[in-house]
Amino acid sequence: MAANKQQGRWLGAFLIGITLACAGILGFSSGLGKVALLVGVVFLAGSLFKFMAIKPLEGKVALGAQPAAMKLIGVLVVVGGWCAATFGVHLTSSVGGRMTLAIVGLLISLAGICIVLPAACNKNAIWKA
Amino acid sequence: MKNFRHQFLLCLVLLLSLGAVARAATSATAEELKAAAAKAPATADLQQGDPGGSLTGTISDVPVSDTKAGITIADVANQVGQNKIGINFTWTLITGFLVMFMQAGFAMVESGLCRVKNANHTYMMNFTVYACGLFAYWIIGFAIQMGGAAGNGNLGGLQPLSSEHMLNLFGTNWGIFGQQGMFLTGHTYDVGVMVLFLFQMVFMDTALTIVTGAAAERWKFLTFCVSSVMMGAFTYPIFANWAWGGGWLAQLGVNAGIGKGYCDFAGSGVVHAVGGLTGLAVALIIGPRIGKFNRDGSSNAIIGHDISAVLIGCFILAFGWFGFNPGSTLGASGAGCLRIGSIAVNTMLAGCLGTFGAMLYMWIIKGKPDASMAGNGLLAGLVAITAPSGFVDTIGAAIIGLVAGVLVCLSVAFIEHNLKVDDPVGAISVHGTCGLWGVLSVGLFADGKSNYGGSWNGVTGSVTGLFYGDANQLVAQLIGISTLIGFVFGFSFVLNWVLDIILGQRVSAESEVAGLDLPEMGQLGYPEFVFRTEPDFMLVAERAEVA
Repeated sequence: MAANKQQGRWLGAFLIGITLACAGILGFSSGLGKVALLVGVVFLAGSLFKFMAIKPLEGKVALGAQPAAMKLIGVLVVVGGWCAATFGVHLTSSVGGRMTLAIVGLLISLAGICIVLPAACNKNAIWKA
Repeated sequence: MKNFRHQFLLCLVLLLSLGAVARAATSATAEELKAAAAKAPATADLQQGDPGGSLTGTISDVPVSDTKAGITIADVANQVGQNKIGINFTWTLITGFLVMFMQAGFAMVESGLCRVKNANHTYMMNFTVYACGLFAYWIIGFAIQMGGAAGNGNLGGLQPLSSEHMLNLFGTNWGIFGQQGMFLTGHTYDVGVMVLFLFQMVFMDTALTIVTGAAAERWKFLTFCVSSVMMGAFTYPIFANWAWGGGWLAQLGVNAGIGKGYCDFAGSGVVHAVGGLTGLAVALIIGPRIGKFNRDGSSNAIIGHDISAVLIGCFILAFGWFGFNPGSTLGASGAGCLRIGSIAVNTMLAGCLGTFGAMLYMWIIKGKPDASMAGNGLLAGLVAITAPSGFVDTIGAAIIGLVAGVLVCLSVAFIEHNLKVDDPVGAISVHGTCGLWGVLSVGLFADGKSNYGGSWNGVTGSVTGLFYGDANQLVAQLIGISTLIGFVFGFSFVLNWVLDIILGQRVSAESEVAGLDLPEMGQLGYPEFVFRTEPDFMLVAERAEVA
């Protein structure tokens, strides 16, 4: 199944939902704002639920299963490197020390991007079959 | 005592004389203004026409606040202020319009590098991303990014944007996101805020359209729409707030004494690296196109359908870049704005050297001056100079551009052969890799000569890089790069992973082989073209076992 009416309908609902939710956040101090937020969240949840329901109709995709645990580890490594670089600058006030910590954090993140995540995403790639 | 009395009398006489002179001068100026007003061209003269332009634009065009009193110095001063802001509004809006036109360049480059069977789909993604991004940015993105960015004198102060959410860490307040400007209503219904919104919006949209290149020829249109809305609403604005909206990266200088804080003049990091890294996240999740890689891991070149569109698109982008970089002064009159000429020349030079870098690299290594890589070299140079354009001299700009031109070729090969990531247009390398290089180059090449009102990010002095004596700035840039890779990529990856679970990122194998124009768009891009048969390696896909 390619693009179809159902997709268009629920994309419209998604856009209405996010608009109402934002309007609700803007006017949260008023009663109307709270109602708008609630209705927006309902629209958003409904559209996402419907997206999920029509997803299987898409048919088979040329993509092997990507192991979730490995992907999660990859993301954690990437984010961990950032945390090391960012919070590391508060451990020392020397320029050299800060630069070293920033580079170490950067290398950790790069390892996540260049090693762990590609390995996870290509683990069962169809071109390997 | 007698001496003191004499001195006191002398001072009194001097002060009275000065006061009289000042009063006389004021009175003389007022008289001069009235005389000049009297000499202004009469209506009868103006009715004769003014072919030489000497009668148009005189003192009679200065609005008078009190007609009985006539023109005053206050009226003239107000008009001077209006003129400054008017020049800056006009400059910022026109450069914003130039950046908006870059969307056409992106559409041509990306579609030209894709196969003809996906032309409509690729053009349509580049077209629709404008609507998705603008809408998301209007409802919430702008507020997150610039909601606490008050204080820019070039655009009149922007005082309505005065609320930044702060987080107290290590005994210091760090900006996390802005809180004013949703839907541009209330106090943000303001002339200066509107100008800033337009300018920032087209930047944001540039970042969004980069992703469509990395995911071209296999991205489900529905998911593309939702992903673009989410990126315009959250991913881009959050990082842009940290860098440009008074957030914690910009505060690294003030709060932690790290250089002038993270410096990104026009967005190598904020715009291009955010777009390129999000493109990498989506490309990893969505997987390579059918037939891109062989069983042994080697790759096949999938040639685009229109190199003329690619090169014309590159020129349109280079033209638009004159809005991107010089426009980022947010004015042509006032604090340091006259550097616009230097910024524009740096932009041209880096693009020029980027073209040479890529073209010569391909010519020397591969034997031919590859047209698509030469185009990517131009863009790589432009992307790289975007962050440092306001802080470097022409030599620095040329080196940055040349390095970017070579880097983009190396990066394309690395991403394809080592990471096994399929990037049909080279968007990850052009915008991601060279965007990060641009951010880094500020910390190396900033020459300490720029002066935008005497300070940057609230720290007195000019931005100075390692080669000009300040290693501190390089630390700030490295933290910025780390944030781009660690936070922006991580956030984008998780967001698009969730979207993959809910909506599915990729079109069906059947649609992909047929080409996305008919299944996704309902219309071929070029209905009168006769498609040639796909090469053998592409037909393997039809036999492939798919998930």
